[in-house]
Amino acid sequence: MPSPRFPIPQGTLDMLILQILSLEPAHGYGIAQRLEQISRSVVQVNQGSLYPALHRLQQKGWLRAEWKQSETGREAKFYSLTAAGRRQLAVEKDSWARLSGAVNLIFEERSR
Amino acid sequence: MIRLFNWFRRGSLERGLDRELQYHFDRRVADLAAAGISEPEARRRVAIELGLAQVREEVRDVWLTRWSRDFLYDLRFSARSFLRSPAFTAATLLSLALGIGATTAIYSLVDQVILHALPVREPERLVLVDWKGDHVVGGFGSFNLMPYPLCRDLQQQIRVFDGVLCRSDEVPVNLSAGGDPKPVSAEVVSGSYFSVLGVGPALGRVIEAEDDSAPGASPIVVLSYDFWQAQFGAAPDIIGRKVLINQHPMTIVGVAAREFHGVDIGVVPALWLPAAMYAQAIPGIYDEHLLQSPTRWMQILGSLRPGLTLAQAQAGLQPWFKTWLEENMRRTGFPAITADRRRRYFASSLRLAPAPQGYSPLRRSLSQPLWILFAVTDVLLGLACLNVAGLFLARGSARGREIGTRLALGASRSRIGRQLLADNVLLALTGGTLGILLAPFAVRALIAFLPGNYADAHALRSAVSLRLLVFAFLVSLAAGLASGIAPALHVGRDSLISGLRERASTAFGGVRLRKCIITLQVAFSLILVVGAALFLRTLNDLLAKGSGFDTSRLVSFSLAPQKNGYSRADSARLIRLIDNDVRALPITRSSAVARYALLTGGSWSNPFTIQAGRRIVTDHDIQENAISPGFFATLGVHILAGRNFDERDIRPAGEIGRRSAVVNQAFVRRYLAGVDPLGVRIGEGSYPDVKPEIVIVGVVADFSYRNLREDSEQAFFPIFEGDDFAGTFYVKVRGTAEQAFQSIRQIVRDADSQLPILSFRTLDDQINRSLNTERMLAALSGAFGALALLLSLIGLYGVMSFVVTRRTREIGIRLALGATGGSAIRLVLRDAVAMIAAGMAIALPCVAVLGKLVQSQLFGVTATDPATVAAAVLVLAAGALAAAFIPAWRASNVSPTDALRLE
Repeated sequence: MPSPRFPIPQGTLDMLILQILSLEPAHGYGIAQRLEQISRSVVQVNQGSLYPALHRLQQKGWLRAEWKQSETGREAKFYSLTAAGRRQLAVEKDSWARLSGAVNLIFEERSR
Repeated sequence: MIRLFNWFRRGSLERGLDRELQYHFDRRVADLAAAGISEPEARRRVAIELGLAQVREEVRDVWLTRWSRDFLYDLRFSARSFLRSPAFTAATLLSLALGIGATTAIYSLVDQVILHALPVREPERLVLVDWKGDHVVGGFGSFNLMPYPLCRDLQQQIRVFDGVLCRSDEVPVNLSAGGDPKPVSAEVVSGSYFSVLGVGPALGRVIEAEDDSAPGASPIVVLSYDFWQAQFGAAPDIIGRKVLINQHPMTIVGVAAREFHGVDIGVVPALWLPAAMYAQAIPGIYDEHLLQSPTRWMQILGSLRPGLTLAQAQAGLQPWFKTWLEENMRRTGFPAITADRRRRYFASSLRLAPAPQGYSPLRRSLSQPLWILFAVTDVLLGLACLNVAGLFLARGSARGREIGTRLALGASRSRIGRQLLADNVLLALTGGTLGILLAPFAVRALIAFLPGNYADAHALRSAVSLRLLVFAFLVSLAAGLASGIAPALHVGRDSLISGLRERASTAFGGVRLRKCIITLQVAFSLILVVGAALFLRTLNDLLAKGSGFDTSRLVSFSLAPQKNGYSRADSARLIRLIDNDVRALPITRSSAVARYALLTGGSWSNPFTIQAGRRIVTDHDIQENAISPGFFATLGVHILAGRNFDERDIRPAGEIGRRSAVVNQAFVRRYLAGVDPLGVRIGEGSYPDVKPEIVIVGVVADFSYRNLREDSEQAFFPIFEGDDFAGTFYVKVRGTAEQAFQSIRQIVRDADSQLPILSFRTLDDQINRSLNTERMLAALSGAFGALALLLSLIGLYGVMSFVVTRRTREIGIRLALGATGGSAIRLVLRDAVAMIAAGMAIALPCVAVLGKLVQSQLFGVTATDPATVAAAVLVLAAGALAAAFIPAWRASNVSPTDALRLE
């Protein structure tokens, strides 16, 4: 599959997962689909790398998981944010805003 | 930690992950199918997209890091393979358990006696204050003795010290709390003692500065926690209770903190008394004003001010000490001295030494033997590791095919090396656990070996502490790594192909490595065997030398009536009475009294002035004792010249000073060579005002006083001259010691039912006790040496057998071509001899260096004694050749046809 899309940096994937789950609990496949949609196919997420990330976040206590009926009627593992995960999302959003702001400033400096 | 927990629930984690991934897979396939892709094609695409195997591995890495996961798998694999070869496992486990157990046991004592800091506030700031130079004034006690006024004055040096304390050596006192008086040990301490150490009470209060103000003013007692538990059943109403200390009424005011056992490891005081109560605590003390006098009787410990280095503190004290020395000279009791002596006195300085572990004569006498034993066990542990490494290499060559196969399947060398390391670590930790289980028994046995009664006094403990567990764990880990590193590095050195070939013999490098190991083992065991020989000879020589007196059927016991409130005169009268009664016993062959006991390590000693033509002062202290006339006869000591004491030596009433003395041969040899000793006049002391007025009336053969090692110059005086207050009785009995004890106890009870009999023993027993350190060194180094020898001989035998098996074909061909059996033996032995010789070449210089360190523990033999070293070399060489000869003999019996048919 030739693609002009960017590979996603690891830390960013964690942040995106937290963001998606902050809206509502979802299972792995759901998150993958949401990622596709939201990023309008600009960012390339390797479907496989989603699962190690989910388990890592769960181990850190930012996610909780439970088996529930999915929309197809089959049991799926739904992830949702914990309180700690919510705090972490805020922290990451903040640092991302500062980083991208700083990068933008530098670019504007250049173009002036 | 959570991750380790994951290891145990990895089954359910795996199942969950499978379900989760399966869901994703199915949904994706369904979606793609809905988009019009054929199902097989959709499945193929999703499988590629997801990379299931890769995802699983990555998720597992999240659960448990790759390294620890591999390691746990390795451990499981190791455990299984060990269970399959029990003989090998038992051999290696035993080697390691012995090595680790022995090291841990000795370390337990090293830690308790030498390393462990006192359980006090900031022990690292404690320093021992010592006097370097000429003290001029004498004292009583063990070492580092100082006068009380120095301690008191040092407390004013607040620029250097936060606080200064002083304490006496352990003092035996008689304690009666309602019942019969019981001898217990006390520490006489300054009022600052507890506050400087930061030790508080568990109950009531501790001794405080005000308790130390005026002599006799504060009759108070602080109990140790253990003593309060054991003797008073932890009675909560103990505070305020009245007890008698040496028949003086005193009040218990408190119990010290539970973990505190005084500053002297090796002695556990039952109670503490303020220094102001010295007269009651130490009855019969010759100095009536100890708190003001220059007499030295206490050790001084200070707590340095924070931020001050030892050197700064020491330098800061010197100017002050000079003025203090001036003041001290003006104190009552300071003798008149010559100008020369005066110069030396003023050249004295104060030295500070770090003392976080407190002050301990036990440490002084035991630290060297303990370090020696610790070094010996370390060598033994090294040997055990080498042995295990050798066994593993041997097993490695047997496992060559398995490892070859794994390498061929793509395992990396480092991965397999790690597997082998896991083998060793598992083994070492199991061995360590066994060792830890053995250690308390070993420590208990060791404590029983120590001189003195440390086991009964609970001064040393055999329980395994946390520190010890950590130590054993680290040692085991180190042993595992040390014994595993060689086999692990060696993995896969040989070519893959040869490893896989059915017949091909394996591991040339393996043999070379094993030969290096054997060489080292030979070196190690030679060092241990030489050490064992030296210590055995020391013990043997001391036993052969003996005490110089006849110990058979000789018993001794001591009485200290002044501790039961007797005055000096009454005390002397009582001892004389009991002496008469004991002599009249039917069971007594002969009996005598001496002021000081023999073979206790201590003595009464002073320099002497001798007037034999010209006046000389002895260059060191003469050991003195006061004895009753039967003393020499009871001990079977011969009078070589002159006469024994008799009624001529009794002073007329009112006369002060001694009249006559008997000296020993060593005294005559050193100070009266070429002079007729009889009639020579001597005087106690070295000052110019000493008048030599005591006449030497006899010379006796040499015998031991403080211990068996020393050949000291001795002088004896008649006892019962009015100032002798305590006594040790020596009784030559007809029956057994037990029968004698019954009759003697009756006599003492009749004289005073309140008077305890102290240390009733046979002299044989005392000699045995006085040789405990030597016996411990000899027994342990002997056992370790034998064990080391055995280990290396087994190793040598193993390697040589392996070599012979490998060279069977070559030897067969040689024999077929006409070589004789003898030449085959030579061929194999040449190898062994090279290893043995190399090992000895390594060991001998080490023996020379290590010998210097142990010299002071030896007696009658130098550390590099050629005969001893040669004997050890011979024993080792003979054993090693015998071990190598068996395989060599087998080689010579190889039948050429069989050997060739093997191919």
